[in-house]
Amino acid sequence: MSATPAAVARVERARLARPNGWWGMAIFVATEATLFGTIIGTYYYLRFNNLHWPPPGVPEPKLTLPLVLTGLLVSTSVPMQLAVNAASRGKLPRARAALLLAVVVQAGYLGMQVHLFVHDVHEFPPSGSAYSSIYFTMLGAHHLHVFLGMLLILWILLRTATGLTSYRMNGLRATAFYWHFINVLALCVVGSQLSPLA
Amino acid sequence: MAAVPLTLPVGAWAGDNQNALHPASKQEHSISVLWWVMLVGCSIGFGVIVILLFLGWVRRNRDYLPFGGRDRAGTAIVIGLGVFVPIVILSLLFVWSDLYVIKTTEAPAANSTPMSVKVIGHDWWWEIRYPGTRAVTANEIHIPVRTRVDMLGTSADVIHSFWVPALNRKADLIPGRVNRLLLDANRPGEYRGQCAEFCGQQHAHMAMYVFADPPNVFRRWLANEARPARKPATPQAREGERLFLNLPCSGCHMIRGTSADGTIGPDLTHLATRTTLAALTLPNKPPDLTHWIEDPQRYKPGSKMPGFSLTSSQRDALVAYLDGLK
Amino acid sequence: MATTVTEPGLKRVERLERIWVEPRGVLGWLTTTDHKRIGLLYFFTTLAFFGAGGIEALLIRTQLAEPNAKVLSPETYDQLMTMHGVTMIFLFVIPMSLGAFGNYLIPLMIGARDMAFPRMNALSYWLFLASGLFMYASVFLHAAPNAGWFDYVPLALKQYDPGRNIDFYALGLIFNGISSTAAAINFIVTIFKLRAPGMSMNRMPLFCFAMLAVSLSLIFALPSLTIDLVYLELQRNLGFHFFDVAHGGDPLLWQHLFWLFGHPEVYIIILPAFGIATSIIPTFSKRKMIAFPLVALAELLVAFIGFGVWAHHMFATGLPTITLVFFAAASMMVVIPSTIQVFAWTVTVALGRPEFRAPLMFIGGFIVFFVLGGLTGIMFAAIPFDQAATDTYFVVAHFHFIIFGAAVFPILGGMYYWFPKVTGRLYHEGLAKLSFWLTFVGTALTFFPMHIIGLLGMPRRVYTYPSSLGWGAYNLSETIGAFILTAGLLLIFWNLVYSRFRGAPAGPDPFFGGTLEWATTSPPPPYNFPVIPTVRSAYPNWDAEDRRADVARLERGELVLDGGHETPASTVVDAVPDEVLEMPGESPWPLAVAVCTSLLFIMLLTRHYAVAGVFAGFALLAVAAWHSKEPQET
Ligand code: HEA
Ligand code: HEA
Ligand code: HEC
Ligand code: CUA
Ligand SMILES: [Cu+2]
Repeated sequence: MSATPAAVARVERARLARPNGWWGMAIFVATEATLFGTIIGTYYYLRFNNLHWPPPGVPEPKLTLPLVLTGLLVSTSVPMQLAVNAASRGKLPRARAALLLAVVVQAGYLGMQVHLFVHDVHEFPPSGSAYSSIYFTMLGAHHLHVFLGMLLILWILLRTATGLTSYRMNGLRATAFYWHFINVLALCVVGSQLSPLA
Repeated sequence: MAAVPLTLPVGAWAGDNQNALHPASKQEHSISVLWWVMLVGCSIGFGVIVILLFLGWVRRNRDYLPFGGRDRAGTAIVIGLGVFVPIVILSLLFVWSDLYVIKTTEAPAANSTPMSVKVIGHDWWWEIRYPGTRAVTANEIHIPVRTRVDMLGTSADVIHSFWVPALNRKADLIPGRVNRLLLDANRPGEYRGQCAEFCGQQHAHMAMYVFADPPNVFRRWLANEARPARKPATPQAREGERLFLNLPCSGCHMIRGTSADGTIGPDLTHLATRTTLAALTLPNKPPDLTHWIEDPQRYKPGSKMPGFSLTSSQRDALVAYLDGLK
Repeated sequence: MATTVTEPGLKRVERLERIWVEPRGVLGWLTTTDHKRIGLLYFFTTLAFFGAGGIEALLIRTQLAEPNAKVLSPETYDQLMTMHGVTMIFLFVIPMSLGAFGNYLIPLMIGARDMAFPRMNALSYWLFLASGLFMYASVFLHAAPNAGWFDYVPLALKQYDPGRNIDFYALGLIFNGISSTAAAINFIVTIFKLRAPGMSMNRMPLFCFAMLAVSLSLIFALPSLTIDLVYLELQRNLGFHFFDVAHGGDPLLWQHLFWLFGHPEVYIIILPAFGIATSIIPTFSKRKMIAFPLVALAELLVAFIGFGVWAHHMFATGLPTITLVFFAAASMMVVIPSTIQVFAWTVTVALGRPEFRAPLMFIGGFIVFFVLGGLTGIMFAAIPFDQAATDTYFVVAHFHFIIFGAAVFPILGGMYYWFPKVTGRLYHEGLAKLSFWLTFVGTALTFFPMHIIGLLGMPRRVYTYPSSLGWGAYNLSETIGAFILTAGLLLIFWNLVYSRFRGAPAGPDPFFGGTLEWATTSPPPPYNFPVIPTVRSAYPNWDAEDRRADVARLERGELVLDGGHETPASTVVDAVPDEVLEMPGESPWPLAVAVCTSLLFIMLLTRHYAVAGVFAGFALLAVAAWHSKEPQET
């Protein structure tokens, strides 16, 4: 591997347009955003079709914990962006440290969320009503995305163990982009999840 | 090209008729007028394109338009005929059809009609109820002629669609919803309709009749329909009744005035007043009734009514009984 | 291209040859990343599915030829009818136009050496093939989907359809959707980033605009189908409630989400046909398209407005009138981009010196049928008429004219048109004209009477009908038409097969086409172009000087990019060369990912969810293995 972080930084500076990988991810994000748009749309469609939302017997969503958790998750956009900036200036160790920080926080988030999810499933199973069906579908889809995003970070961490190349730089940029997107989604999802309280 | 074959069949037959262009109501009349006007307009539009193509072929050795002019004139045509003319035509069509004609096909305002009839779609037959009376029947709707009738449609299982082409548009019958439609026949007659939303295996055999009767005929019919079933008159029919109540029949069918109170199949209280069986699959004559009871699956494969092994005397007794349910 | 290539130029070509050559034999095809070979794989696969869908159609037509026929049982009829629709739409038209034509032609037309993500391209193909086989497995198990191609609930719920039929449908289409999404992303990035130097957006071939519009539509349309299918599977197999009223669901939710996808889908079907038409018309009219920018805009607009019209498929469901009127207005608006294009095509022909060879004749047929089908589309936008005609054969007539007549005719014409490019041989012109007339007459005879029986009250999706309603004669003529049509199609395929082996050599550019695919040899070499062409107009192959400059550059070794598996990337709008990309070569991993994904879906079908999870893990591992081979960097 002849490429060095310095060479990568040089390539980054010389670029006129964003690389293919970034575009690929951007379009993927567009289709994912539509997917979540549809899920959230379904949530409100069903909501306006039902008099009681959540239906009688189903507890209202809790307010604080989901908000705190989401805040934690959203904050990982900062280390993700720091990682990109550092790497594109050729500072690999710093980038790796930032990635590690992000993924640890995300893992904590996901762990907590899965715990809450399982708890809720026991309390009001998805087969109970349209409310619980869409509730769990929406949250489940979101958790799955967080999980995939974490896999991407872990992959980048693994690959950059042997140095930085432009190819990996593109991967990192795309991953960071994906994470910013997941975080925006997290806000939309938690907003819908908590909407019955409003 | 488009207009010629379409004009042929209109009004060209008598008898069984499911023709949307043979209106028997104000609503369907306005729909058919809409159709004929659109047909003429579209034929003209189609003609313009075909002529242009034809010109391209005839004048294939000249690279200018028939009336002179080259690229600029060409672009002007594209913008003129491709943008401005369609905008005008479409706006006119929109205003006329979607703001004006639609008023006649819209569901009637609630409680604005002297009577209503409830239609409930089932796999694969129609349950018909007359709110305010006890009358329940199946597959054959009677309405008084020249009277606005509000059809309230829903479904007991999957989505069906209520459509009597001579009378009005369609209304889907959707579980959990009630869709309404105006029935207002302007001449007496027998109007065939058919389920228009795919509903499974026997979607093809889910037809119905609307009979528009003179008001006094209708009133008599309805009064009879509301009464409990007649007592069987002959020993054979009495045997038939006993069989009916003891065989599985009574688990699926209701015969008011007896202990048969099933709700899976059609109400048979006045079966003999109907002209057809099983949503117009067979005529309602004793031999066909016999065939049907023996082996419904042969005539309507997949139907929710199973076949039974009956002896011929049991069968004849059942038919005698059912045929007496006037 | 008269300038001769000398020694150093030949050396460079040889080097390219060595760099880009792929393994021969079956292994080569299994691991290929060459967009042309993948295009051919798509072509033959979709053709086979077309055959299957066609046979289903012929069985349907045989059953309907006369009243009360007993050729098919009702259950078989429902399965064939559903599979016919699903096959033709998901396994034939879209993969044929996007997968086969798009794959083969887009890189050639924009002067690139491959797609932006060659391995993902292979993955798209293998996923497509696997999803098709997955769905067709159901036919052999006598459990094919049977609730119609739009699969309305509650009919599709477990209560009313307890078998595996609908699970094949739902999982198969989710599977298929992954393939289409990957393909769409690939096309968009390819079109954005890999255009030859100088090919700014406004000089891009209209075919590419059409494909761009298609891909964008797929990106935004597929998710609503996917999620709808996910809901359906969750409800069928895990007891969720989305569609049943008793638990707060709504059957209309299915319809909204389906048509939110379904209407953009029909423009996804027609847009490639527009693209093919705008390729064939200029070539045989020997002039540029009139109103070029307007046509490009119209192609994008039709895709865009197409997202706002879905409820016109639900005019009879009892939505509030105000909603209906809104969607009717949108349906009227969506017509404008189409009329622009129709007039642009006809005026271009009228202004040129057209040569009515077979491809152009097919485009002529396309225009006639498109206008016919489009006009009945407008009629549906008049709500009261739609409420009468919906779910009758009038609708079947509308969409077969516009799908078979308008979307498939250009595909057939395109097969003739690009046949010399792909095989290096010419097709037989006389036979081709005969085949056109057969298919043209057959199509008219098959689908025109459907308007009439629709108005005479014949609902669609009935496996039989009584003799008393006067529908028999029309149905018989439709059936006869279908067989004439089939004869025409078979003649086309015979012509192509025969000419593949016996046709006269074609040379690089037999029709004097204007776009870049005609600038290279027929068939194109694996690297497409010895020199990356530079572009100064929308019809670069008609700029003879530029093409001579290419040869000169080969001599000088400029833009040959023979340092590796290379292709240039450029800026999105102006196509200023930005960097030279090292493209990945053949790889076994896309196939491996597709195999794991297939096993995943089979496990979902048989409800072994834990095992399915394991295969998902394997698929991820295969993706990791795929990405562990990185391009060389200097
Ligand atoms: C390739 C596919 C394709 C295309 C391009 C279209 C194009 C159009 N379609 Fe069609 N449609 C289908 C495929 C397609 N459709 C299918 C598959 C179904 C049925 C699905 C099912 O139920 O199974 C369907 C059903 C369908 C319905 C629902 C019918 C029903 O079930 O009740 C409607 C309703 O509005 C509709 C409308 C239109 C309109 C307005 C257009 C317009 O885009 C047409 C625009 C084109 C033109 C208008 C031609 C140009 C004409 C001229 C240049 C002449 C001059 C014109 C004027 C002066 C106005 N279509
Ligand atoms: C792209 C879409 C497409 C195409 C091309 C076609 C093509 C045809 N369709 Fe179909 N059709 C649909 C999409 C399409 N259809 C859809 C979406 C439905 C609705 C389904 C539903 O209601 O759910 C439908 C429904 C439908 C019906 C109504 C069924 C019903 O409502 O009950 C009918 C009836 O006649 C029909 C007929 C035909 C015929 C005769 C053709 C002919 O044009 C077919 C001719 C083709 C061939 C005969 C194949 C020949 C090719 C070969 C033999 C290739 C050889 C291959 C090799 C050598 C490898 N179609
Ligand atoms: C499992 C339920 C079931 C049982 C048991 C059953 N039926 Fe039926 N029956 C039906 C259904 C459902 C229909 C409507 C069939 C259709 O039109 O598809 C029907 C239709 C009929 C009809 C035609 C009614 C009409 O209005 O057109 C008759 C007559 C009839 N049944 C008689 C009988 C007799 C007699 C028996 C007993 C020997 C019987 N049924 C047992 C379910 C049942
Ligand atoms: Cu009921 Cu179709
Ligand atoms: Cu549509």
